Amino acid sequence: MECTSHKENKAVVIKVTGRLDAVTAPEFDKACGNWIDQGETCLVVDLAGVEYISSAGLRCFLVLHKRLKAVAGTLDLSGLQGMVQEVFDISGFATLFPVHPSLEKAIEATG
Amino acid sequence: MPRFRKTRKHGLAFRLSLLILTSTTLIFLAAFGYNHYHSRQLVLKNVQEVAMNRAQSVVLQIETRLRSVEGLPRMVSRHLENKLVKEDLLLSLVHDMVASSPEIFGASAAFEPHAFDPARRFYAPYYYHAKDGEVSFVQLGSESYNYFLWDWYMIPRELDQPVWSEPYFDEGGGGILMATYSHPFYEMSGELRRFRGVVTADISLDALVVEIGNISLYKTGYAFLISRNGAFLAHPDKERIMRESIFSMAAASELPELRTIGRKMVQGQSGFAAVNSVHADSRSLLAYAPVAPAGWSVGVMIPEHELFADVRSLNRMVLVIGAAGFTLLLLVVVAIARSITRPLHSLVRTTAEIAKGNLEVELPVVRSNDEVQVLTRSVDEMRLALKEYIADITETSRAKERIESELKIARAIQMNFLPKHFPPFPEQPAFDLFATLESAREVGGDLYDFFMFDDCHLFFSVGDVSDKGVPAALFMAVTKTLMKGIVEQGMTPADVLEKVNFELCQNNESAMFVTVACGILDISTGELIYSNAGHNPPVLLRSKGAPKMLPMPPGRVLGVLEDDIFINRTIQLSPGDRLLFYTDGVTEAMDNELNLFSEDRLLEEMADMTRAEPRQMVEQLMAAVHAHAAGADQSDDITMLALHYKGTSALAKNTK
Repeated sequence: MECTSHKENKAVVIKVTGRLDAVTAPEFDKACGNWIDQGETCLVVDLAGVEYISSAGLRCFLVLHKRLKAVAGTLDLSGLQGMVQEVFDISGFATLFPVHPSLEKAIEATG
Repeated sequence: MPRFRKTRKHGLAFRLSLLILTSTTLIFLAAFGYNHYHSRQLVLKNVQEVAMNRAQSVVLQIETRLRSVEGLPRMVSRHLENKLVKEDLLLSLVHDMVASSPEIFGASAAFEPHAFDPARRFYAPYYYHAKDGEVSFVQLGSESYNYFLWDWYMIPRELDQPVWSEPYFDEGGGGILMATYSHPFYEMSGELRRFRGVVTADISLDALVVEIGNISLYKTGYAFLISRNGAFLAHPDKERIMRESIFSMAAASELPELRTIGRKMVQGQSGFAAVNSVHADSRSLLAYAPVAPAGWSVGVMIPEHELFADVRSLNRMVLVIGAAGFTLLLLVVVAIARSITRPLHSLVRTTAEIAKGNLEVELPVVRSNDEVQVLTRSVDEMRLALKEYIADITETSRAKERIESELKIARAIQMNFLPKHFPPFPEQPAFDLFATLESAREVGGDLYDFFMFDDCHLFFSVGDVSDKGVPAALFMAVTKTLMKGIVEQGMTPADVLEKVNFELCQNNESAMFVTVACGILDISTGELIYSNAGHNPPVLLRSKGAPKMLPMPPGRVLGVLEDDIFINRTIQLSPGDRLLFYTDGVTEAMDNELNLFSEDRLLEEMADMTRAEPRQMVEQLMAAVHAHAAGADQSDDITMLALHYKGTSALAKNTK
């Protein structure tokens, strides 16, 4: 898995590629957690490059949800496709966060 | 360690010493050999010169003496040829020869028969030094002493020239070794020349013999003189004089080389040669030179071993010094080698100790700033690294053990909470049910459950906790306990999920969640109400038809939002219908190339299971999953729950 992040307007854009599973989840967790620790409350996670997500990966989003809820922050998703889309749908996580068809749309929505 | 000891026998010190001393010895021997050869050559050259000079000087001495003697007879001969000499003048001439020259022992003028006085056949007045020192006279020649036949007379007459006779012992003169010089004289009448007689001068060789006999070179080197015939005239061994010749000696001693040299000597050659000694086995060097007037030859003989006595003593000295040097070198080399190998030895002992596993051993202190010190330091670093490594390994294996035991605990929790008694309701003919859970090594937190909460309602569930290990097992246990506690008559699956969700959301700091699919089957009617919390859709296999995924109502996983709402769905089961609930451990089972088992494969496998009993279904599917994985690590729990609804007709049949 690779995880890059940058700030765009008031949103922090986190792009994830590869497999998001038990092995890589802590890294993603840390990358997101660091931004929240810095006081960022508006996160956009782009999952366009993710080919596999396990329940450990999903759990990261639940953790993010809980942390952001505590600081009245938001988490927007974009780039869900294939297996990732399916997992998000089945688990009901797709309804936990606003999901956008593209990253641009997601950033736009935060603005 | 027998090998260790064996190599030590020929240790470094030994080999180093051997190498140095062997090469030193070889160098020394080479230098010694060269020195020996060259000093011999030098001595030989020197000796050749000395011996030759000595021989030449003896020759010169003899020649001087002989020449000085030759003058007088020549003069008298001329005198006798030029004038007619009366007897008294003749006598005085001959007398004066003897009297004036101490060299001359005796002198004579010997005439042809009747040549001086027609009346006298023999005429040879002879003057000589008598024993008292006076000059005495005697007339030679008589019938008993017919001098015409003697060599000293005959040979010059025949050869027509002055001649030195072969040396001889003079019988009349008292056994003295003599040699006679005879000079012929003639009667001149115009062109004609007639032999009249010879003038002779005898010389004693005794003085010469003594002189030459006394010559000594080195310790036993000597000089000798041989005559024209090879007879010894002078030799330190007086017995040989005039009794033996160089040839008789060569024959007696079987020395052909001496014979060759003897021949060269009598031929008047000079030279230098090595011969085997007559006396001993040793060899001698011989320098020889001719005494021209008499045809004699002087030899100077030097035993080789005496020549080289100095060289030998020098060699002995060199050898002694060499041996002393060798001993000293041996001591020094051994000392140095020991000093080098001593720390090595103790290092070897220490490393052997380390090899046995004693990492606490102290390394020897090496003060020398050399390779041994570097080696010692490296060994110490190795020892410390080993120690650290072993500590690490111990720590790691301890941690591993801890994890292993945690996993064991997790699995124990999980397994203890699952109903494992099959068939679960043997007295219940309306349905059959079988479930199994195969834990991954790292327990995944799957769960299944089923129970009848009244006479005609079966509650069953399958779930999957998001985490692994002990926390997942505990979460699974909590979920299962909650569900069982909450289910009561009149509740729908959605009610159960809502209540369980609410409870799980309380204090869920670790953000775990669980997916659950559950249902309540009215066994008398076949009506199944089911609900879903983020779980995979089950497979429905009607008694007639292909297996298909049973559409599930949407529903979020449990443990996320406490006020989540869940939806019920209802389906009517007919007798012979089968249902399979499972976790993603089945569809996401991977082979070594990370290929998933997949839902399609699941449907495919179930296509011919319309007659299979739940246990058979589950076991066949498990076998298929295992075959797909083909030995790849199982990363998640695999859970399956199969239900076969037989219906009330079966019940009726049974009660009948």
